[in-house]
Amino acid sequence: MAQHFPPSADTILRAVLAGAALFVVALLAVLLVRPYTAYSTSQDRIVEQPVQFSHAHHVGGLGLDCRYCHESVEESAFAGLPPTHTCMTCHSQLWTNAEMLAPVRRSLGEGKPIPWRRVNQVPDFVYFDHSVHVKNGVGCSTCHGPVHTMQQTWQDKPLTMQWCLDCHRDPAQFLRPEDKILDMNWTPPADQEERGRRLIQHYLIETKNLTDCSRCHR
Amino acid sequence: MTPPMPPLLGRRQAALGLLASALTLTSCGQPEEEILPYVNKPDGLTPGVSMRFATSLPMNGYARGVLATTYEGRPVKLEGNPRHPASQGATDVFTEAAILSLYDPDRSRSLRQEGRVGTWEGFEAALLPRLAAAEARGGEGVRLLTGRQTSATLLRLIGGLRERFPAMHWHVHEPVAETDARAGARLAFGTPLTVLPRLERARVILALDADPLGPGPEQIMHGRAFAAIRSARRDRPDSLARLYAVEPGFSTTGAKADHRLALAPAGLRDFALALAARLGAGLSAPDLPAPVARFLDAAAQDLEGARGAALVLAGPWAPPEMQALVHWINGRLEAPVDYLPPPPEQPEDLPALAGALRGGAVDTLVILDANPAYDAPADLDFAAALRETEAFTVHLGPWRDETAALCRWHLPQHHPLEDWADLRAPDGTASIAQPLIRPLYATRSAAWLLGLLRGRLSLDSYAAVRETWAAQWPAEAFEATWRRVLHDGVVPESAAQPLPPPAARLPEPPSAPQAGLTLLLRPDPTVWDGRYANNPWLQECPKPLTRQVWGNAALMAPGEAERHGLREGDVVQLHAGGRMLEAPVLPLPGMAAGVVMLSLGYGRRRAGAIGNAFGANAYVLRRGDALWTLPGLRLAPAGRREDILHLQEAHRLEGEAQELLPERPFADFLDHPLEPEPKEPPTSIFKPLEPDAPVAWGMVIDSTLCIGCNACVVACQAENNVPVVGPEEVAKGRDMHWLRIDTYWHGPEAAPRPGFQPVPCMHCETAPCEPVCPVAASVHDAEGLNVQVYNRCIGTRFCQGNCPYKVRRFNFHGYADGQEYANQGEPIVAAHYNPDVTVRSRGVMEKCTYCVQRISAARRQAEKEDRPIAEGEVRTACQSACPSRAIQFGDLRKAEAAVSRLRHEPQHYALLGHLGTRPRTTYLAQARNPNPALEEPEA
Repeated sequence: MAQHFPPSADTILRAVLAGAALFVVALLAVLLVRPYTAYSTSQDRIVEQPVQFSHAHHVGGLGLDCRYCHESVEESAFAGLPPTHTCMTCHSQLWTNAEMLAPVRRSLGEGKPIPWRRVNQVPDFVYFDHSVHVKNGVGCSTCHGPVHTMQQTWQDKPLTMQWCLDCHRDPAQFLRPEDKILDMNWTPPADQEERGRRLIQHYLIETKNLTDCSRCHR
Repeated sequence: MTPPMPPLLGRRQAALGLLASALTLTSCGQPEEEILPYVNKPDGLTPGVSMRFATSLPMNGYARGVLATTYEGRPVKLEGNPRHPASQGATDVFTEAAILSLYDPDRSRSLRQEGRVGTWEGFEAALLPRLAAAEARGGEGVRLLTGRQTSATLLRLIGGLRERFPAMHWHVHEPVAETDARAGARLAFGTPLTVLPRLERARVILALDADPLGPGPEQIMHGRAFAAIRSARRDRPDSLARLYAVEPGFSTTGAKADHRLALAPAGLRDFALALAARLGAGLSAPDLPAPVARFLDAAAQDLEGARGAALVLAGPWAPPEMQALVHWINGRLEAPVDYLPPPPEQPEDLPALAGALRGGAVDTLVILDANPAYDAPADLDFAAALRETEAFTVHLGPWRDETAALCRWHLPQHHPLEDWADLRAPDGTASIAQPLIRPLYATRSAAWLLGLLRGRLSLDSYAAVRETWAAQWPAEAFEATWRRVLHDGVVPESAAQPLPPPAARLPEPPSAPQAGLTLLLRPDPTVWDGRYANNPWLQECPKPLTRQVWGNAALMAPGEAERHGLREGDVVQLHAGGRMLEAPVLPLPGMAAGVVMLSLGYGRRRAGAIGNAFGANAYVLRRGDALWTLPGLRLAPAGRREDILHLQEAHRLEGEAQELLPERPFADFLDHPLEPEPKEPPTSIFKPLEPDAPVAWGMVIDSTLCIGCNACVVACQAENNVPVVGPEEVAKGRDMHWLRIDTYWHGPEAAPRPGFQPVPCMHCETAPCEPVCPVAASVHDAEGLNVQVYNRCIGTRFCQGNCPYKVRRFNFHGYADGQEYANQGEPIVAAHYNPDVTVRSRGVMEKCTYCVQRISAARRQAEKEDRPIAEGEVRTACQSACPSRAIQFGDLRKAEAAVSRLRHEPQHYALLGHLGTRPRTTYLAQARNPNPALEEPEA
């Protein structure tokens, strides 16, 4: 009786089995790593805006205070985006005919808000509060990066829960003194661990239950 | 040597990573979001920070002051205004649910002419020439129909109309009217005084078919008073007032009474006469059966012994002679009652209008926010009169209801939360209602319409209200006073001054009611007279005692049902006065023999998508001469069955009523406390809670004070974005209420003493729901909250199965997320959601969180201000809603906190405490203050 399979069949079978195993391992690896990649977290993603607003120019160049536009950052969960009127305090005098500012003028004329697109986005089940962070020693640039250098704004940090917990588990490594909150150039000094511990006491931060689920989810 | 490197990804992270990957592969990632800032931000508004404004809501024409929470101009929650005498910081179901009616998709959005969309200009063009003609006639043929009016502005505008149309007639129609009460006051005092009982000054109260703790404009006020006289505390053992109730139906007041007697109307009349005779009325006292006589002896002795603090009450449904008799009795007892001057004008009633319509005497009829086509007594057949009239009929109201459909013109009206108004509380205190949101639709106000009738085009309600008060306040202080009144929510010192107690005449004794079966009609505890029928929160709010939802039923004693061969759910034909109505039977222990009770407000045909077609329309049987009590009732089985929907059946706890809700005289608790000393907690597999956490949240619920009004249930629903599920789901035993009020029945079936027990999550320190969750979605936080992490929950429902208190609720469908009941998925409904609370999706378990968003807000505020959270800073939604202060919440670590002190009361206990769950929510058992003369050993 003739052979059903040629002698190479064994080799092909082994290759297919090994290939399948490899494929499964590779797939698992991809699935495991994927959510932590910038592709999934949108880290470093630049968002096109209706107006090409440059933080580099306004903050880095002109030295505007963050709170000039994000005025509710110390009172509200929402840092606030400037009403069109705030833009127009200067731009009714400066660059009044600039093409770039046409959407701002249109917004004022039509009484319709400028539809800014969100850059730093956390899921709806996360209740983040700006005010309690900036009032307790977390600086702007800790989460938002070097905004004063951004021609276009990007999301500087991954904003994953892991990233949140890095600080909630050990805030000492990130805390700043009260007068450095808005400082875009602040870098942790050499003895940050020690200073951080003192700042925790200064701000009366209850570190024990900072990782409770109910802190951020409800 | 370097320590070994930890693995790049922990086990947990790996699992999460896989899960996240799987999710992102099947979905499209996070949607792009836009941020829309203001063009010009209003002064004083901070985006993301809520604001609170004082305003007032009408209930049967009377004001209840509220504080409304708004986010960026969007009202989401109403709470009581502590400065307002009719709310005193608390709410009732109707107040809580008003927020949802604002966003009701069935609200009228456009003007209608003969059913077709019309224009405001068209309406003015049609109306003004008629008015000019009517003016020439002196106003002959002009008729105005309103609900009860306490608004100074509307009364002033109506007065102005009289100047233009001297022969105009003004009619008032209110289905739950105080006609009989006023008539009774007239019989007793010669003038129709407003009689306001002051429960807080009473020591002994006898309710003769009265329900001060039941629904109505005065419920909150009486609830607060009840809390003042019924708080059973160790340090004030004698402070408990005694409450007797004699009634044919079963009211919440009867449920809270120390002694209750169920008597049919004839027996009730005899009882009242005998009481009057005992107090020296010189009547021939009727013969009473022995047990009734014994009850009367004890009650009369108690009342006489507490002269000056003894109070007898009659309900608004009692006939005038009975009201007058009670006034006389109260006079003899020097009862704590405030007698207020009567309203200045007694408008005409509805029958007069119906007669005029039929007689062709009406040329122009304007109906302001009244619905007589649905809720007029059947013998008037007002709907037919309205349909057949040749008159120019105009209806102004927020809904296109039964009356709107029969009028030539329907004008959409602002919702009370969109309008300026002024209203008076039952005690006469005036308040100004300010709008919380710009009108959602092209609607107008009542002031505008009255202005138009007067000849003032485009009068807005803001100007009208200011004009009214500008005439009352000194001109130089007007702006300052106006701002203060808006801020406080009440006009200072505007309450009516009580008159010196007038001498009450002894009236003719009430005539003996007809023998035989009697039908009692009563306002409904959830939809009132039908005006709230289109509110899904109220439809799904279980009625006290019966726990019925989405409908009403003919209530009768179990013995009565048996006598007629009826079981629960049998549909029965109620024949009375030549009319017939079909309703399902629901036996309710404690009803008097020979009595059937049915609530008003159901069977509406044009309420909207929510309220249409549920229940039986009791107005079909109502007659002008028998508004509340219909003698000569005949029952006939209709030969079919209808399911009666209850809550609680699906969440019934295992155990005896006396164990789950102990009920004893307070003296017994003092002698034998329920928890003599703190027991050693049973050994547990749980690790102990953080012993040095800064706060330990806890709640104590005093069931003695709970009046079962459901304000907490609806408040929780409003605060926590709890959806309704609809009748079909309720029939499957599903509902989403995070807080329920269980009812337990003590005592013999013939004379039951029900007890109310609000059951939120117990936040057990050793919570049985936690170890069974495979994904750790049910976990504890350091402050003692048992939290549910929705984004982790995968819906195994193991936690629900393991919860001995049955407080967990599962989203079998997307009740709030794509599979809403009826019209609840319309975009406008989503506007009522509290932005601080997640809207849960399908497949997720949820439960009471102790209002963790309020705790979090207080904590963040305290952390920003570098201070600890103050006692009383966190108030849960249920706590702040409760009219009788039955719910206390706070930090158990603080010895002086209310919760800590209540935990030392003798009647304190933990529900199912023997399970070792160490609940953070604990109870004070139901304490009574019985009269020893009436106590009999229970068999």
